[in-house]
Amino acid sequence: MGVVLRRVSKAYGFLWALRDVNLTLSHGDFVALLGPNGAGKTTLLRLLCALHYPTSGEIEIDGEPLDRGKIHLRSAIGFLSPDGQIYDKLTARENLRFFTSLSGKEMKSAEISAALDQVGLGPWSDVYASSLSHGMKCRLAIAKWSLLKPRFFLLDEPYGVLDGPGVDLLESFLKNLCHGGAIVVIATHNVHRVLGLCTRALILQGGGIIFDEPRREPWKSFHEAFANFLPSEA
Amino acid sequence: MGTLKQTYWLLWKDVLLEIRRRETLLSMFFFGTVLLFLFHFSFEIPREQTARMAPGLLWLAFIFTGTLALTQLFQGEKESRCLDALLLCPMDRGALYLAKVFFNLIMMVVVEVVIFPLFGVLFNLDFWRLLPSLFFVVLLGTIGFCVLGTLFSALTLRARAKELLLPLILFPLMIPAILGTVRAMQILLGAGPGQEFYPWLRLLIGFDVIFMTAGFLIFEWVIEE
Repeated sequence: MGVVLRRVSKAYGFLWALRDVNLTLSHGDFVALLGPNGAGKTTLLRLLCALHYPTSGEIEIDGEPLDRGKIHLRSAIGFLSPDGQIYDKLTARENLRFFTSLSGKEMKSAEISAALDQVGLGPWSDVYASSLSHGMKCRLAIAKWSLLKPRFFLLDEPYGVLDGPGVDLLESFLKNLCHGGAIVVIATHNVHRVLGLCTRALILQGGGIIFDEPRREPWKSFHEAFANFLPSEA
Repeated sequence: MGTLKQTYWLLWKDVLLEIRRRETLLSMFFFGTVLLFLFHFSFEIPREQTARMAPGLLWLAFIFTGTLALTQLFQGEKESRCLDALLLCPMDRGALYLAKVFFNLIMMVVVEVVIFPLFGVLFNLDFWRLLPSLFFVVLLGTIGFCVLGTLFSALTLRARAKELLLPLILFPLMIPAILGTVRAMQILLGAGPGQEFYPWLRLLIGFDVIFMTAGFLIFEWVIEE
C-alpha cells in the first residue's frame, strides 16, 4: 500500500514532460525529488496531487486509482507550493477557517489560534494575508496543513521563502508527519538541506527517473549520480 | 461534507472578498448607469414604441454589465493564486461552479434592482404595476446568463485575451435566453399582441435548468488546466 505509479506519462501538447514513470512510495517514506529545471519535478508533483491527470498510465493511492471524482482521496493529499495559495484579502484566521471548513474539518477558534501560535503567527492572526511577507504566508500554509493532516504531503521548492526558524519549523512538521506514517515528497534544489532529512532520493531528468535509492551511509552511488547528472547543483 | 455546505463556504469567501475589494460591484453600477444614459440620449423613442423597445435596451445594459462581472469572476483566485488550493480541497468541483453562479447572480440582481427603476424613469415607462412579474422574467434571464457565463468564464480562465474571447463565445449561445426574456417582457408590457407568454417562460426555465445541470456535471473538466 502507499502510492503507486504505473507507466505514467504526461504530455503538454507535443511536449512530453514525463515518460513511462514507474514508482512505488510506501508509508513513512521521506523522498527528496531532485533534478535540473525542466526535468519534470513539478509535473510529477501535480500529477500526484491530482491537479493534473496523466496522459497515459495510472496512479493509485492505497490501492485506489486517483481518477477524477475520487473526492475522498483528495482529502489525503496536501501540497505546499512556494506561492502559499492563501487569499490576500482574508485574514490569517479566516484563511484557516475557510480551507479547513471546505475540507470538511471545521475547526474551533481555539484550535485555529493554537495552529497560528505554533507557526509564530499568533500576533498576525487578524491581519489580512496581503500584509504578510512571503515567508509568513508559507508559515500560514504550514499551519493550514498541520490542521488538515494529510497522509501524503508534497512540497515544491519550499526553502526559498523561509528564514532559518521557518525552515526548522517546516522540517519539524515534516518529520512528525513521516513518523505518523505519512509519505512526504519534497522537490527542491537545496540538496544539502534535504539530504539530512530524506529516507530516499529520486533524480529526474528529461521526464524519466534516472536514480531511485533508499538512503544509506555512506551513499556513494547518490554522490556519483548527483555529480554526473546535477553538476550545476553540486 | 455536502455540496451545499461547500457551496456556502465558497460563496461566503467570494462575498467577503467583494465587500473588501469593492471593485466589481462599483464598476458594474457605474457601467450600467452610464449605458442607460447613453441609450437615453442616443435613442429618441416615440412613446407608443417604448414598450416594444425597452426590454431589448434593458437587456443590452444587463448583459454588458454582467459580462464585466464575468471577466472578474475568478479574480480573487487569480490574484492570490488560490485556484490550485481550491482544486486540492476534497470537494465536488460542482460546488465551486454553484458558488460562482450564485455569487454572479447576487451581483447582477443587486445592480438590476437599481438599474430597473432608473430605466423606467429615464424612458417614461409606466411599468410599476407590472414590476414583480417583469422582475421575475428578468431573474430567469439573469439565471440563464449566470449559469452559462460562469461556465465560459472558467473555460476562458487561462486564455490570453479573455475579455475579448468571453463575449464572442457567450453572446451567440445566450440568444435563446435573451430572446425569451425580451419577448416575455414585451408581452407583459402589452407590446406583443397575439403572442403567448408561457412558451417563452418555459423556454427560459428550460434554458436555466439544462445549462445549470450541464455546468454542474462538466465543471470538473472545464476547470482543469
